[in-house]
Amino acid sequence: MRKLQTKLLAIRLGSGALVLPKDIKRIHMRFAPRIEGGHMGPRKFWHHELIRLKYHNPAVFMTIDRNARAEDPAVMSVHFTLPNPTPSSDSAASNPASLDSTTATDASLTERVSTIDMKHRTSSEILDELVRMTKAQAVEATAAEREELRLLEEQRVRSVRDSAKSAEVKARVKREKQLLEQARGDMAAQAA
Amino acid sequence: MAAPRYCPSCLCLAAPSSTLFRAAPRRPAFLPLTPRPSQQPLQLRAASLKPLKYRRKDGPVSQKRKKARTTFLVPDLKKAMQFSLVDAMRYLRASEVGRPPTSSKYELHIRLRTPKNGAVVRNRLRLPHPVKTDLRICVIAPADSPHGQAAKAAGAVIVGEEDVFLAIKDGRIEFDRCLCHTDSLPALAKAGLGRILGPRGLMPSAKTNTVVKDVAASVREMAGASEYRERFGVVRMAIGQLGFTAEEVQRNIRAFVEGVRRDMQGINDQTPKEVHEVVLSSTNGPGLSLDGTFGVAEVGVV
Repeated sequence: MRKLQTKLLAIRLGSGALVLPKDIKRIHMRFAPRIEGGHMGPRKFWHHELIRLKYHNPAVFMTIDRNARAEDPAVMSVHFTLPNPTPSSDSAASNPASLDSTTATDASLTERVSTIDMKHRTSSEILDELVRMTKAQAVEATAAEREELRLLEEQRVRSVRDSAKSAEVKARVKREKQLLEQARGDMAAQAA
Repeated sequence: MAAPRYCPSCLCLAAPSSTLFRAAPRRPAFLPLTPRPSQQPLQLRAASLKPLKYRRKDGPVSQKRKKARTTFLVPDLKKAMQFSLVDAMRYLRASEVGRPPTSSKYELHIRLRTPKNGAVVRNRLRLPHPVKTDLRICVIAPADSPHGQAAKAAGAVIVGEEDVFLAIKDGRIEFDRCLCHTDSLPALAKAGLGRILGPRGLMPSAKTNTVVKDVAASVREMAGASEYRERFGVVRMAIGQLGFTAEEVQRNIRAFVEGVRRDMQGINDQTPKEVHEVVLSSTNGPGLSLDGTFGVAEVGVV
């Protein structure tokens, strides 16, 4: 269970554990499948920060398009709903269908899109930029979670110590065995 | 700590291993004229009787070995963390973030308390919300016969006899499953397609229930059905696409577990089995043991 606990805590807490404001509808990222040309940060952001963002904001659509080429820009677009959207029947009808696809949709009348340039930036820089843009609230660890973290850390330290100890014992046993082998070899050589 | 030093002469007495003697072949033999194979045991006995004596007392090795387990190991669920369906799905959704929605699937693993030998659970099931819907089915039956028409209506992509055989011989195999009507079986056998279809697992045969009378019903059953089978005491199956709601996944899980229960009942008299644990995971996510409750769904969650 320790492994699972660690994994789940890593999904709940850490950098990117933010609660986004209500008016954010969707976050879309577009970057290249390979890291050359400054596309490493976006990928790291996806694998670390975006997972926590999704956990704390399950209703926000988060999509990724990795069809960009290395020389293309790496862009994150954040879609906000406008406070009083203009009633438009066709955009309202077309939106829900296109939301769950991974490809980008055209900006419609009901939303405002802001973009972040992610090229040549690390994941933490991208996160800072996102926080500045959206004014997201960081999630604090609860008392129970802090206690769980402390216990896991304690176990980790103990296991490092124990593994060092047992490695020492194993090395000693191995060395004794080797010496014994050597002595036998010497005997045979003498006898020959 | 320094290793203890061994006196070579003591070593010789304490451990008269055969390697020692094999390493020293040119040593003066007791009986120089006897051939080598008979010579070695003699030397062994001369060195020491002790190891042989001990071996006899212990008995054969097979008796000492622990008896092998006859059932699969099951984890103790008292220590396990268990989750409600909604909580588990929230974690899995988070770990699947940004993946193409059609590639990620929810998977269900049902661990059974079962003996290692005996019958296994194995069946085909049509889920209330099918996971894979783009299965292309070919039906071998005359296209203008009522059976052929019915199969076409039920969703078969290719229906026919001679033209289908010709297409397959040309290498155009544009289907994932192949069914055959009982009356068309002789024609199929004559066409000699076993060489082409056999290696792909597409050749219809009565053994795999792909030679049937009611073709339309089989097509309907097959179109949304998925197969499952018990392996090492666990039945696994894809249970839903990532876009499914919690209710849809719940209905699918229910149908699957019920199906497995029914299958277990059928083979209960030979091999008793019981459901031990139900685990939900996803293509890239962790496995989370379910506690059987639904949980509280948050508003606005897809």
